[in-house]
Amino acid sequence: MYLYDNFDQTITQQRIGEFRDQVQRRLKGELTEEQFRPLRLMNGLYLQLHAYMLRVAVPYGTLSVVQLHKLADIATKYDRGYAHFTTRQNIQYNWIKLEQMPDLLAELGSVEMHGNQTSGNCIRNVTADQFSGVAGDEIDDPRVASEVIRQWSTFHPEFAWLPRKFKIAVTGAAHDRAAIQFHDIGLQIVRNEASEVGYRVFVGGGMGRTPVIATEVRAFLPKDELLSYLEAILRVYNRYGRRDNMYKARIKILVRELGAEEFIRQVEEEWQASDRALVNLPPAEEDRVRKFFADPPYEKIAVPVAAFEDARKNDKAFARWVATNVHTHKVPGYGAVTISLKPPGGIPGDATDKQMHAVADLAEKYSFSEVRVTHVQNLVLPYVKLADLHAVWQALGKIGFADANIGLVSDIIACPGLDYCALANARSIPIAQQISERFADLDRQHDIGPLQIKISGCINACGHHHAGHIGILGVDKAGVEFYQITLGGAADENAAIGTLIGAGFSGDDILGAVEKVIDTYLELRQSGETFIDAYRRVGAAPFKEKLYGRR
Amino acid sequence: MAPPKPISKILTANRLTNGETLFYAASGTWSAFVTEAKIVTTQEGVDELTKIGADAYAANQVIDVNVIDATADGDIKPKDIREIIRATGPTVRLDLNKSMSPAGK
Repeated sequence: MYLYDNFDQTITQQRIGEFRDQVQRRLKGELTEEQFRPLRLMNGLYLQLHAYMLRVAVPYGTLSVVQLHKLADIATKYDRGYAHFTTRQNIQYNWIKLEQMPDLLAELGSVEMHGNQTSGNCIRNVTADQFSGVAGDEIDDPRVASEVIRQWSTFHPEFAWLPRKFKIAVTGAAHDRAAIQFHDIGLQIVRNEASEVGYRVFVGGGMGRTPVIATEVRAFLPKDELLSYLEAILRVYNRYGRRDNMYKARIKILVRELGAEEFIRQVEEEWQASDRALVNLPPAEEDRVRKFFADPPYEKIAVPVAAFEDARKNDKAFARWVATNVHTHKVPGYGAVTISLKPPGGIPGDATDKQMHAVADLAEKYSFSEVRVTHVQNLVLPYVKLADLHAVWQALGKIGFADANIGLVSDIIACPGLDYCALANARSIPIAQQISERFADLDRQHDIGPLQIKISGCINACGHHHAGHIGILGVDKAGVEFYQITLGGAADENAAIGTLIGAGFSGDDILGAVEKVIDTYLELRQSGETFIDAYRRVGAAPFKEKLYGRR
Repeated sequence: MAPPKPISKILTANRLTNGETLFYAASGTWSAFVTEAKIVTTQEGVDELTKIGADAYAANQVIDVNVIDATADGDIKPKDIREIIRATGPTVRLDLNKSMSPAGK
């Protein structure tokens, strides 16, 4: 993991001191709310329905056990004993008191954490593949580029007041686990014909009220040119992005209004004219950063591992969990474990202080003291020996995190929705709870197979509903919560925006409608065909007919 | 001409120091309980609540000040589900909810 140097430490401590002063001035009435609001947002502090909400940045979803223990302690001391992992690999607390924020930030700072770049019109906390550094299909470790981007974007003076927020995601593999085509900039690490490593660059993806799949602006960008090219994109956006209408201010609108060809021309022109050598990272500095992500001291393990194979053979429940929750590791004898934060009837992404401590203890014992957060609101132990998997699974069972449902119908993304969020029009979490309870039977879930349901409580789409195989969008219809269904969305390398299937359903009827969609799939699927493959083959018509009858 | 819509409003905000949801009470103070809210039924009453809210905001006591629709069939409660959730807490964590009234209802 990356460790702060003196510069990182100094600017973080300066920001903590600055915000302590700002809070004190606000509480004394020396700052008005209009003056203070942008300052608190710069530190990740929002006002939600019931209290202040603090969003803490988890850069590219990577946490040490020391940090996770601290996050749990903060839930105990400053919140109500729990927190929520988000679709941007961050964590947020729902019951924060403004008067306690300075002390809270000081505690976060003691473990190299903060709320910077989790709000406001800046370059937000960068996200990445949760299996960075351990995935067998990876060309290069995206954490290196992500950390470089984190350092470059932190308090970048030119990009502190962009037209709107700006999100960057990085994947090191062809199979996209970071939803890069739904980001303002998506970076895919690739090799060119000469086998050199570089980036395929996408720009202008996004969700929200105008969902857009990103445009490829460069098939190959040499690795060493990353920062100057990012700066050229940001500079064009900062210059021409709309500031008169917040709904048209994202870079996706600029790309659309200019046209991809003209946008690319402007970026290339800006890039060529810039002092690239000044901005690009010196190779020696990249080497320094890369050393922080060196492999942990793996053991050389002969496979197959008898104890693991025996446990899998003798324990059906364990075998099922391995099939869904353990990802193939690049090192023989190891696996990457996805910890499901989606128990039947649970709140997607929520974890109590005790659960966070327990996961941190497991990471310390079994996973070289590291944990990852996924954009699907789960956690990952990235380095577990196959021989230890059974013990890890049993320990997870004791804290309610051993569900064998990763990638299945109950592994639902849900935003906080109207239960917490000031922007929401409808509740998301209760719909997720109903679905996960209805499909709690693991035999049924495994029979249905891979299926991504994503739920948002408003058109801002924090629940990624546009990219759900089944997407659910909560809307307010004359003061009543209604839910629209979209079908066919996808967040991977075959990114797609779901199609609205028809009129919305009431809160009482949405579960039945989702079940009808799934039953329709089960009736029409061909041998081995997943939900999304079946949808792509038959289209929306059979699902519409089942839901609404012949029209 | 259609008769004017009946007015039934209360004043709500969040406490500056801790973000807690508050309601302006008939007693002239801010209460955590919506059943203690002062309900007004005239435009003059709405104007009075609006001024009280603006003054409290200017005095840095509260933020996110709004005059909202309420019903008073029995106990006073907000009309919209958003405001009902604000008054009581997340519907998915009933263990953390507060009641609408000091009596625990």
